[in-house]
Amino acid sequence: MITTQAKYNAKTAKMNLSTFTYESGPLEYEDFPLTAEPVYILGEVHSALHDRDDLKNDIKSRIWITYRRNFQNIGGTGPSSDQGWGCMLRCGQMMLAQGLVLRHLGRGWRWRPHVTDDTYWKILKMFEDKKMATYSIHQIASMGEAEGKAIGQWFGPNTIAQVLKRISVYDDWSGIAIHVALDNVVIIDDILNLCKPSQKEQSKSGLANENIEDIPEEELSKFVNDGPQESKPSCTQWKPLLLIIPLRLGLTDINPIYFESLKKCFKLKQSVGIIGGKPNHAHWFIGFVDKELIYLDPHTTQNVVDLEDRHASDATYHCTTPASRMSFSKLDPSIALGFYCGTERDFDEWCLAFTVQDKSCRPMFEIRKDAPKAWPSEETVPIKQTKESRGFSLSDFMLYDGSTGSGVDDEEFEII
Amino acid sequence: MPENQENTSNKTFKQRKTFAVRKEEVEGIRQKFPNKVPVIVERFHKETTLPVLDKTKFLVPQELTMSQFLTIIRNRMSLNSNQSFYLILNNKSISSMSSTIAEVYRDEKDDDGFLYMTYASQEMFGSSN
Repeated sequence: MITTQAKYNAKTAKMNLSTFTYESGPLEYEDFPLTAEPVYILGEVHSALHDRDDLKNDIKSRIWITYRRNFQNIGGTGPSSDQGWGCMLRCGQMMLAQGLVLRHLGRGWRWRPHVTDDTYWKILKMFEDKKMATYSIHQIASMGEAEGKAIGQWFGPNTIAQVLKRISVYDDWSGIAIHVALDNVVIIDDILNLCKPSQKEQSKSGLANENIEDIPEEELSKFVNDGPQESKPSCTQWKPLLLIIPLRLGLTDINPIYFESLKKCFKLKQSVGIIGGKPNHAHWFIGFVDKELIYLDPHTTQNVVDLEDRHASDATYHCTTPASRMSFSKLDPSIALGFYCGTERDFDEWCLAFTVQDKSCRPMFEIRKDAPKAWPSEETVPIKQTKESRGFSLSDFMLYDGSTGSGVDDEEFEII
Repeated sequence: MPENQENTSNKTFKQRKTFAVRKEEVEGIRQKFPNKVPVIVERFHKETTLPVLDKTKFLVPQELTMSQFLTIIRNRMSLNSNQSFYLILNNKSISSMSSTIAEVYRDEKDDDGFLYMTYASQEMFGSSN
């Protein structure tokens, strides 16, 4: 680690010595190009010519989470820094933080130095590098063990998505539901079951046959009166959804046919960005301009900050240098798309946006009403067909065909 | 480099057999099973998380959907539902899981007549020392 950084650190020692170090340089602090191309940031469009300040202010307002050092040892005796291994965990934190900003503050919210907004601070503190913080690196790294990742092991986009899903159930304040859609399919019924759980509860308690919406609130509360009033979802309530779709858009290199589809994601108001990166380096992608992705980079190691301290500054949680950019073609094919749907209507609109046929956009996933039908259990197939498949094997086939014979080819077709 | 020590089993199906042999194989098997699609499923050479399948060559009923096929392969590897698993065809992911194998075969089959799929999970991100 030290050797890879030495070169860059030496160059920037004056500036960085006490505050932070870069994992790999050189970093480009190149300002936004003066282009007429629209700049899309998480569903909002900016002009790099006419409202540069708005653009920069928008990016600066995002919660930027980086490597930290000198935090409490994870698990008591584990690492006190996540430098070198935590980059995907940090990107997951950033994407979730954006979801929570949308949940509690809204897309139009803007950060300024010394902001005192309680809601904002409450969100930020959930990501503090302390064991007790809901979404801390400690919680994530420890929960990673449930996904087969020892503390300090690298994560992929799906790993962090799965871990955040597990942790989010403890976040009562936000009450969000995280759904991770694997296998390139988003199943609407799965999401309705998750985000409208009250429907299920109601039907269980025997209210299903009545039109619940006709029952006055007070009456309804008699039926469902076993908890604090405010936490009881009404029958029409939608649990805010963070939808994460892990994808692989190529093997070694990303297939350029997906570039337009990726751009489309950033144009939607539901976007909370994309987590992915360049090979080995995770980034949180927040938008694009022309042929370049715009991202926040966790690869800066900063000292831990105690946010409980009255004099604590949150300045290190906002990136005031121009956001980094990179070509779409450098994107590693392993990514996860993120969307926040605060209401059912947001979700319906989101579905519509991806259902509408758009010739320029190659689909990256499919949206279905219900789970695809399973093929009749394949367990029984080989047994049933044992006799037949002997006759159908390739070696026999080659023998019949007068080819080189079964002895040469030991690979037989598996018949499904 | 490891390439020099590679044994036969590390070579891809295409590397193991000439085009002519593969083409002949497909023609023969298609004649015998006109309703089944010959598919080659191989692990991405950089994949480390997912196991190697014991079989490479499959004869798949043409009406089987991609989703059903994916589930069959997932089950054979005993993957849990949280694990990422992708079938990549010609460097593309499967955008419609409801497509049948026959439809995918029509669009993506190789000149030799096989349908090639490579499977992989996701890359992990971090930086080595």
